[in-house]
Amino acid sequence: MAYFILKRMVQSVFVMLAVAFLAFSLFRFVGDPITQMTGVETSVADQERLREELGLNDPFVYQFVRFTGDMLKGDFGFSYRTRQPVADMIASRIPATLELGVVALVISLLVGVPAGVYTALKPRGVLTQTILMTTLVGVSIPTFVIGIMLIFIFGVQLGWLPTFGRGGTVQIGGWESSLFSIDGWRALLLPAITLGVYQLTLTMRLVRAEMMEVMRSDYIRFAMARGVPMRRLHYKHALANTMVPVITIIGLQFGGVIAFSIVTESVFQWPGMGLLFLESIRFVDIPVMGVYLVVIAFFFVLVNLVVDLLYVAIDPRLRIKDLS
Amino acid sequence: MKSLKLAVLGGALSLSAMGVSAETFRWASTTDPQTMDPHAVNSAPVLSFLNNVYEGLVRRGQDMSIEPSLATSWEPLSGENGWRFTLREGVTFQDGSAFTSEDVMFSYQRASNEAADVRSWFAPVSDVRVVDDFTIEFVTSAPNPLFPDSIANFMILDKDWAETNDAALPARDAENFATMNVNGTGPFTLASRDPGVRTTLTPNESWWGDVDHNITEAVFTPIGNSATGLAALLSGEVDFIQPIPLQDVAQVESRDGFQVLEGEETRVIMFGFGHEHDALLYSSDVTDANPFADPRVRLAAAHALDIASIDRVLFRDKIEAASQLVPAGISGFSEANQDRPAFDPERAKELLAEAGYPDGFSFGLKCPNDRYINDEALCRAAASMFAAVGLDAELTTGPVRDYWPQLREDDFDMYLLGWSPGTFDMEHPIRFLMHSQDDERKLGSWNFGNYSNARVDELLPMIQQEIDPAARQAFVDEVVAITQEEVAYIPLYTQPLIWAAKDNIDLTQRADNFFMLRWVTVN
Repeated sequence: MAYFILKRMVQSVFVMLAVAFLAFSLFRFVGDPITQMTGVETSVADQERLREELGLNDPFVYQFVRFTGDMLKGDFGFSYRTRQPVADMIASRIPATLELGVVALVISLLVGVPAGVYTALKPRGVLTQTILMTTLVGVSIPTFVIGIMLIFIFGVQLGWLPTFGRGGTVQIGGWESSLFSIDGWRALLLPAITLGVYQLTLTMRLVRAEMMEVMRSDYIRFAMARGVPMRRLHYKHALANTMVPVITIIGLQFGGVIAFSIVTESVFQWPGMGLLFLESIRFVDIPVMGVYLVVIAFFFVLVNLVVDLLYVAIDPRLRIKDLS
Repeated sequence: MKSLKLAVLGGALSLSAMGVSAETFRWASTTDPQTMDPHAVNSAPVLSFLNNVYEGLVRRGQDMSIEPSLATSWEPLSGENGWRFTLREGVTFQDGSAFTSEDVMFSYQRASNEAADVRSWFAPVSDVRVVDDFTIEFVTSAPNPLFPDSIANFMILDKDWAETNDAALPARDAENFATMNVNGTGPFTLASRDPGVRTTLTPNESWWGDVDHNITEAVFTPIGNSATGLAALLSGEVDFIQPIPLQDVAQVESRDGFQVLEGEETRVIMFGFGHEHDALLYSSDVTDANPFADPRVRLAAAHALDIASIDRVLFRDKIEAASQLVPAGISGFSEANQDRPAFDPERAKELLAEAGYPDGFSFGLKCPNDRYINDEALCRAAASMFAAVGLDAELTTGPVRDYWPQLREDDFDMYLLGWSPGTFDMEHPIRFLMHSQDDERKLGSWNFGNYSNARVDELLPMIQQEIDPAARQAFVDEVVAITQEEVAYIPLYTQPLIWAAKDNIDLTQRADNFFMLRWVTVN
C-alpha cells in the first residue's frame, strides 16, 4: 500500500513538471507583462530595463528551468502585479476555493444520490419525469448564466442572499472559513449551487443508470425471492454496488470542480484561486499563473489517488487481490 | 421658545443620523489597486485610490483645476528655471510625525529612482534644494510653466517612516512595508487591506483640511465582472460603483433609489496610421506601397466615418465628437481648429481616386477588445463605414495585454488608440503621440506609426517652455493645424464616464475618472 502511494506521488511530480512546461510554453502568447506593469508615461528604455531585470529576455527554456528550480527549492517567486510572495497569495485563496468545491460536491451528492435512486425505482413516475426534465435544462445552461440568474432572483429581487464575496468568515488557525457563521453560509449557498448543478445532474443520472442495471442483476432477484425487505435491498445491497463507478466519476469530476470553479468565482466575486488566476491573466502575472497551474495539477493527482484508495475501501474484492 | 425649538430640532437631527447610520460607505470598481505604494506604479486605479490617503504638493479640485495642498503657494524661481514651493505648516503624517521639506526631498528621491514607475514626471528636474523646513525648490533644465500641474499625483511619504520600515525605495521584485501599509497626510487612512478582496479606509482625525464628507468608514471591493457589480449595487450591498457598462444604464435608471452619473472623460479615441511603413502588411491588393502615407487617403478615411451614427447606435448619444487629441475645456485646446472632417462618403471616394485608388484597397485594422468602452463594436462599425467608400478593413481584435506589444512591433496598417492627457494639457499628447519617436529624449513613445513633422518637433519644446499663455497657445494652434491638415490621426470622440450610485449618495465625478472620498456625502 505504501509502495502504491509512493509510486503515485513520484508520478505526480512528473505530471506537475509537464503541466509547468506546457504552461510556460504558452505564457508568451498571453501578452506582455511589462506593458501591464508600467504606466503609459514610462519610457521605452525603462521598460526594457525592467524586462531585463525580470529575466523576460532569457530563452523560454531557461525561464522554465529557473521557475522549476526555484519551486523545488520552495521559492515560489513574487507576483508581477502586487509584488507579494506567490505562495502566500495562493495559500490565502485555497480555503475559499476548497470550501466552495466541497460544499458544491456535498450538495450534489445529498440531492443527486437520493434523486437518482428514486428515479431508478420509479422510472415512470410523474416526479421522475419532472426531475429529469429540470436537471436536463439545468445542465444545458452555461454556469455563468445560472449564476447570474440566481443572483438576480435571490440577491436582487428577493434580497435574501448576498450577491458577491464570502460574507463573514472565521479565522481558524491560518484557515479563513465560511463554514462557521450564518453570514458565511448565506454567501456560500448560491455559488455552491451554481458550481454543483452540473455535478448534481451527473451524479443523479449515473446513480439512476447504475441502479437500474443492478436491480436487474441475479443477486438482487435472489434476494427479492428470499424476502429481504425492499428498503434494505435498495439502500444496502443495490446502492452499495452502484457506488464504485459513481465514486470514480464523481471523484475525477471533483478535480474539475476545483479547477473550473473559475467561472463561478468570477460571477460571484468569490475570492478563491480561480478569481486570482483570472486577475493574473489580465495582468500577465506569469509567476502566479505558473504556480496556480502547478497547484491545480497537484490537486488532480491527489484526487485521483484518493479515488483509488476509496475503491479499496468500498470494494472488498480489491482488498483480497491486494493481499494476495 | 426659540431655544426649545432648536433643541427639538437638534434631537430630531441626531435621531435621524442614528437611524441612518449609513456613514459606512461601500464602493466597488473593476480593478483592485495593486499596491499601496504611491511611487511603485503609475496607473489610474492606484493613484486614484491613494489620493485619498496620501497628498501631493498640489492637488486637483472638482473641476480639475490645480489648487494648494501640502504646498500653500508656489512661484517661478528668479534667475534660473524652476519653481519654489512654500509648504503648509502644522501638517502631520498619520503616525503623528511632522511634515517638513525633508519629506518632500526624500519623496522626490524615492519617486525619481529607477525603481519607481512614476519617475518620468521628474525628467525635466535637474536639481532639488531644501531652503528651510517649509520651503523647497525644484530646478528644471528649461523653463517649465506646467511643472506644478505635472506633479499633482506626486505623493509625499514620511522620510523616517519609510526608512525605519525598509521602504526607502518602491518595491521592485519583492514587496516591502509600503506595499501593504500607508502613512500619508491625507483625509483617510488604511484600516485593513486584503488585496483583491476588501480594503477599508477610515477618516484621518488629524487631517489639516476642512472635512466635507460624513463617512466614518469606507469599504472598497474590487468586482471584475460587470454583471456582478450591477447586482451588488441593485441589491444594496454597495453604495456606488465605477464604472458601469453603457448597456446597463437603462437598467439602473429604471429602478427607484438609484442614480446614473454621466460625464465626459478626458480620453479621446482615435485611429492612427502606419505613417512610416513602406507597404501595407495586411492587404490583399496593395502590397508594394503604403497608401496611408498619402494625406489624401488618410483624409478619405476620416470623411468615411459617421460619428453621429456611431454615437446613436453604439453609445446612446453619450459621446462628443472630437476634432483634436484633447477635448474642449482642457488647457491648450485649440479653439481655432474645432472642425473635424465631415461625414462625406462622396468626398472620400474622390480623394481616393485622386490618390490613385479609385477602387479603394484592403488593409489591416487592429483594435483592442477590452480597453475602451465598446471598442470592438466601434471598430466593426468603422470597418463597415470604411467599406462603403472602398476601404476594405481586415479587422483583428484582441485583449489589451497582447495589443500594445503588437503596436510596438509595428504590426498594423491602422490602429485604434485612446489617450487621456496625464497633465490635462495639450502638450501631453503632442509629446507622446505627435513628436517623432525619440527613445533617447523619451519623446513620441506612443507615436506607434511614427508620424513625423519637423515643424511639430520644433514646436514641442517651444510649447513646453513658453511662459506667455497667448504665445504658447499660438504654438499649440500651429501644431493642431498641421496635424489636422496632414491627418496625423483621426480623432473620433471623447469617451463618456458612467458611474452609478444609490440616490442617497452625493459625490463628485472628476473628469480624470478619479474618485475622491472626501467629496462623498451619505444622506
